[in-house]
Amino acid sequence: MGYLSKIKKGIQRVTFYVCVVGMLLLVPMMLLTTGDAIVRATLARTIAGAVEISEYMLAVFILLGLAYTQQVKGHVRVSFLISRLPPRVQPVVEIITILLSLFIIFIVVWQGWVVGIHETTVSDMLRIPQSPFKLLVAVGGFLLCLELLIDLAASTGKLVRR
Amino acid sequence: MSPIIAGVVGTGVVFLLLFLGMPIACALLLVGFLGLSYLASMGAALPVAASTLYHVAAHYPYTVIPLFIVMGGFATSAGLTKELYQTFDKWFRKLPGGLGAATIGACAGFAAVSGSSVATAAAMGTIALPEMKRFKYSPRLATGSIAAGGTLGFLIPPSIGFVVYGMLTEQSIGKLLIAGMFPGITLAAAYIAIVIFQVKLNPSLAPTSPEAVSWKERLLALRGIWETLVVFILVMGGIYLGWFTPTEAGAIGATTLFLVALVKRKLTLHNLFASLQEAIRVSVMVLFLVAGATVFSYFLALSTIPTQVATWVAGLEVSRYVILILILAIYIFLGCFIDAISMMVLTLPVIYPVILSLGFDPIWFGVIAVLMMEAGLITPPMGLNVYTIAGVAKDTPVEEIFRGALPFLISIVVIVAIITALPQIALFLPGRMLGG
Repeated sequence: MGYLSKIKKGIQRVTFYVCVVGMLLLVPMMLLTTGDAIVRATLARTIAGAVEISEYMLAVFILLGLAYTQQVKGHVRVSFLISRLPPRVQPVVEIITILLSLFIIFIVVWQGWVVGIHETTVSDMLRIPQSPFKLLVAVGGFLLCLELLIDLAASTGKLVRR
Repeated sequence: MSPIIAGVVGTGVVFLLLFLGMPIACALLLVGFLGLSYLASMGAALPVAASTLYHVAAHYPYTVIPLFIVMGGFATSAGLTKELYQTFDKWFRKLPGGLGAATIGACAGFAAVSGSSVATAAAMGTIALPEMKRFKYSPRLATGSIAAGGTLGFLIPPSIGFVVYGMLTEQSIGKLLIAGMFPGITLAAAYIAIVIFQVKLNPSLAPTSPEAVSWKERLLALRGIWETLVVFILVMGGIYLGWFTPTEAGAIGATTLFLVALVKRKLTLHNLFASLQEAIRVSVMVLFLVAGATVFSYFLALSTIPTQVATWVAGLEVSRYVILILILAIYIFLGCFIDAISMMVLTLPVIYPVILSLGFDPIWFGVIAVLMMEAGLITPPMGLNVYTIAGVAKDTPVEEIFRGALPFLISIVVIVAIITALPQIALFLPGRMLGG
């Protein structure tokens, strides 16, 4: 069991640090948008590319936070019914729903990669290529898969122990 | 299988998966994908989830969500929660159940600088509960008033509820936020009236009250709310006057509160980290849901269910208010099990076209919908705010908090009725907005 919990800790640490990278972007995003609004109000000009930089920052913020939010069980789910199921049935239902989630997130990762790698669009003002940001869909989705695998292991463990 | 049947089956499967405890966003993505594969083709359906996720995550207007949430985090770091409570306490403490009334007032004040409702309840709980305990308030009244006060964060702008409603219905988020102002104040006043009324009926609920304070002290206490007032006027005034968009207003509000916390030397690294962490967690949750709902609504649109339902309902020979009451009943029922944002995301694709076809005002319905979401925060068995308060008030059983919140729940229903009879309460301000 030792190396399994080491893998789990490792994944969770990676997910956390990846999320911190995205999280810290909120401060420049906030300052940039404020600056843009003030410059427009006072000098009747806009900061070139402020909107598209904000968009890219939001994409990083959200996509890199996907997995960590799963780690802290932040993605909403209805636990009302499942918590009332008999303890033997509970892990079985959990395993089924986690496998279904894994299936759809796997498609997101695969297609995120395909879409991202073929993307040639650049942003309007600053000509920043969109491709690396689109590839973050695959990165965020992949980490989310890892977090789901941790949950899968936990539910399977519950089942085996019974 | 005809498209309609496929849509009905798909909707059934979503609810089944949801009650089996699958993350709601994943359930929507999965069923949306399967439905699109069936009604269109596998090849067309495959890239939809990934590209929708990117487009939702990189959509500029959505930056308002983390900004509104981080405002609340910075406001708490700056100590505004405590100051608001102290100010309202000085003004309200002589009323029957004065500390309860002060709690509601402080919650309303905090809601005016914060976008999330659960955060309001938690922040206020840690401050107001010990006070009310000290003066021997009944736990039912004490916890109930905080749980209810916390719901104000959903109605009083800035509010994530209106942002999500605006995103899903393509209505002006600025107008929606402004529309929430009068109803929010009315609801706060109704909550305070309910506290006073309960204590008048049964004085043992709040047996003692703190000693009175002089007018001088009261006036001095107003210093405790000026930051809140300035930020609120800056943010909402700016939106109302058309000076800036809701996103810019959120950024300006967050920056101002950030500076306030910095100047007061209260922004520790720990506080900053906690605020950002809450912002990313809630924003990711909301936008992942929105992405799931978007994919699912592509499928629903292909199934033609929304248009068919809307046409069918519009052709019914009953008063449109009967249908409205039916919709509200559905919301009350769903609110018992599902959280506010998910409920909006799940129901609006079908309910919104119905509302439009019945000739209701979309901004007005936004206010009504958000009020119903608020009710869901305090209805048993899954009221989120009640569980948040239960986490703070460990010695009060959850049932007791639900009972304490019940009178406030009734007042939400009454306010919905009043705003339905007098839509101008919600529509007066947005109708006079400069810019949109």
